[in-house]
Amino acid sequence: MFSRRAFLKTSALVSLAPTVPGFLAQTARAASPGNDSRVLVVIQLDGGNDGINTVVPFKDEGYAKFRKSLRLPTNDLIKINDRVGLHPALRATSRLLDSGRLAILQGVGYPNPNRSHFESMAIWHTARMKPDKGSPGWLGQALDGGQAPVDGSPASALIGLGSPPRALRGERSLSAALAHLDDLVLTGAIDPRKALLPTLPAGDVKAFVTRGMLDAYTTADRLKDAAGVKDAGAAYPGTGLSNRLRLIARLLKAGFGTRVYYTVQGGYDTHYSQLPQHANLLEELGGALRAFLDDLKNAKLDDRVIVLVFSEFGRRVAENGSLGTDHGTAGPVLLAGPRVNPGLVGETPSLLDLQEGDLKLGLDFRQVYATVLEDWLGLPARAALGSDFPRLALFRKRDS
Amino acid sequence: MTNDAWMPYEPSAKSPWNLRRVVHLHRRAGFAATWTELQRDLKDGPGPSIDRLLAGKARIEGMPKDFGATADYLVRSAAGDLGRLKAWWVYRMLFGPDPLGERLTLMWHNHFATSAAKVGPTVRRQNEIFREFAQAPFGELLTRVVRDPALLLWLDAQANRKGKPNENLARELMELFTLGIGHYSENDVKEAARALTGWTVVKDRFQEDLAQHDSGDKTILGRKGAWKGDDLLRIVLAQPATTERLAVRLCELFMGEGAVDAAEIKSLGAMLRQRNLDIGWAVETVLRSKAFFAEANLGTRILGPVEYVVGAARALELFDPSPNTLILSEYSGNLGMDLFHPPNVGGWPGGRFWISTRSAIGRYNYANALLDGDSVGLPGPVDALGLAQRHGHGDSLDSIVTFFTELLLGAVPSSAWQKQLQAALGPKAAAEPSSARRIAALILASPEAQLG
Repeated sequence: MFSRRAFLKTSALVSLAPTVPGFLAQTARAASPGNDSRVLVVIQLDGGNDGINTVVPFKDEGYAKFRKSLRLPTNDLIKINDRVGLHPALRATSRLLDSGRLAILQGVGYPNPNRSHFESMAIWHTARMKPDKGSPGWLGQALDGGQAPVDGSPASALIGLGSPPRALRGERSLSAALAHLDDLVLTGAIDPRKALLPTLPAGDVKAFVTRGMLDAYTTADRLKDAAGVKDAGAAYPGTGLSNRLRLIARLLKAGFGTRVYYTVQGGYDTHYSQLPQHANLLEELGGALRAFLDDLKNAKLDDRVIVLVFSEFGRRVAENGSLGTDHGTAGPVLLAGPRVNPGLVGETPSLLDLQEGDLKLGLDFRQVYATVLEDWLGLPARAALGSDFPRLALFRKRDS
Repeated sequence: MTNDAWMPYEPSAKSPWNLRRVVHLHRRAGFAATWTELQRDLKDGPGPSIDRLLAGKARIEGMPKDFGATADYLVRSAAGDLGRLKAWWVYRMLFGPDPLGERLTLMWHNHFATSAAKVGPTVRRQNEIFREFAQAPFGELLTRVVRDPALLLWLDAQANRKGKPNENLARELMELFTLGIGHYSENDVKEAARALTGWTVVKDRFQEDLAQHDSGDKTILGRKGAWKGDDLLRIVLAQPATTERLAVRLCELFMGEGAVDAAEIKSLGAMLRQRNLDIGWAVETVLRSKAFFAEANLGTRILGPVEYVVGAARALELFDPSPNTLILSEYSGNLGMDLFHPPNVGGWPGGRFWISTRSAIGRYNYANALLDGDSVGLPGPVDALGLAQRHGHGDSLDSIVTFFTELLLGAVPSSAWQKQLQAALGPKAAAEPSSARRIAALILASPEAQLG
């Protein structure tokens, strides 16, 4: 847990370090209750999730017409209402829906859809239609406009392998990456901070590296505190995604100050033989999501957390010749947590009234971002998104 | 007109030939160098030092007599085992006579980024093509790489057939391997895919299946004809955009952040065009240039994982016994570069992306593990004190700090640096083996040592 003593320990860095650690360089304002304790977890589905077989418009004539081999039998679906049902592998997710902890946003995308993985994902990450190499991420830029966690934790964290994704990249806010708690354990004999002093002329790159290493050591300290808290473990399914969400839950239970977490579930690019692969992925997703929210509920933390699930595009309405689907356009976005306004949001996209064989756009994802930033995280959205986007009524009022 | 940046470097008062520039040369064009090699180059000047690197004669120690035979044995016995393939490549980097050649092989591995996760051990022959044609005119390398099974399988060439085009290979060929984004249209990609139909892999070998080739006319980048795959390569090689992209790649390899501007890169591309895209010529020109040795290019490039990992072992002369090369390849993976497994066809982003919380901690942990010895496969801790003493240092803590600062950073430590490091060891520290190891580890783990 964050303590005054821990903070004083890290403040000794100021006198030794050649550059001030990131968290101290940001605007310091008095911590305010409420919004500051709210957490966002983003689950990115890599490859383009087939939304049509996830949130199935089984009454739409286009479904039987365009999906001969890939059509899911109506009786197997988990009905949401008399027109739309969930993929049978999402049983755990339907429980969230029943207990009022899930919103399903339909037909989410952006105008002039791009069917390249890299480019479409870059659009979702930067909230810009034509991002350039230097464009920061929507979350990174929004976090730049807020205040850093007072305990020195990073503003955001990627849970998984690799580096923090572009979505988390900002000018000042610090982003960490870890797959396991012990990724960031310093195994050397001497605290490296004691030896930090410049011997060569300073410069931009050197300052960047120095700051990166200093921030890493600070994050490692904060994690050491987190590792001390016992993991009482709700029943997690033990899949890769659920292990990552479990780590996030552990950090939250330990009072780790990071407010934005990001993790990736890969494998959704189902050009060939879609059915078995897609079913496995959705089962992993649903099971992990439910275990995570139940765990937080037991720890009385779930009121502070929402989970946003998205993919870079949906897939084409008509199946291809290899029992799969090719890159498409709009798709569903899920928002989970006890504070969401539960149920279906937006119009179910028609499978007959198409645009060049693809679903027409329903909701612009930037509206979802604007709502999450302003109404949930209390962060300024305009700079992060480039302009104003009308918000949606995604969250319950405080007292409802 | 040749841009001044690429004119030959001449040592001067402002840009002296000093230890810093020698260390810089070996960090950029190799995997660091030993103390003896550094002192020799310091004495001989830039001309002979670069001559030696280009000729594969820069290393004078740490090369097993039977290197060639051992390397061959390692790669043959690796068979389909990716771990052993990685260990073989690290063996070549650490012990081989041509570290510049291995750096260029790494550059091509990143440029034609192909993952063994999809195509398995076919990456081995691809790696050998990279090595053999690393400095050839680019057209020779391109032709062989695009007709090699690894790349064809990676980009689904066998699914690209007459009447059923698959654009993957055509798109990445234009977007990543030659022209770059903005220098071709979607239609060019479609037509290029048609030209490539019939190029396939049968029983692990390249095959040109004419029955599957779409033999009609195609219009690619304004040129119309019944193009086949080789014609497509000819067409893209002739575009100025290709040479510009190659110039960018070479500057990513040899130049630090902000060391050259767009005009200078363009100028390098123009000269490359006049020389039939001769990569070897470009490498020599860059390494001998003013821009390469300018102050703005010193200490401005973050060492990639494998450069950092292998360079540390090389500088510390860990030749016999040496660390386990499989373990070294795993450390490189931990730090973000898993050999033969680029994250996607775009390769590794590199530069500042090498530094993340995990990799920052990882570099510190590697530095300590290397000096402590047993978790990198050494029989015991590294004799850092002995190393310093062999090279005329080591009789005091000051002297030990000076030795490792000069060896690893090419710099003379300030008195503040001396004080700080020695204070970190504690009040009872003396010039003995464990202190020498701690000093070496701390310097190796410092922010300065991440830059080359």
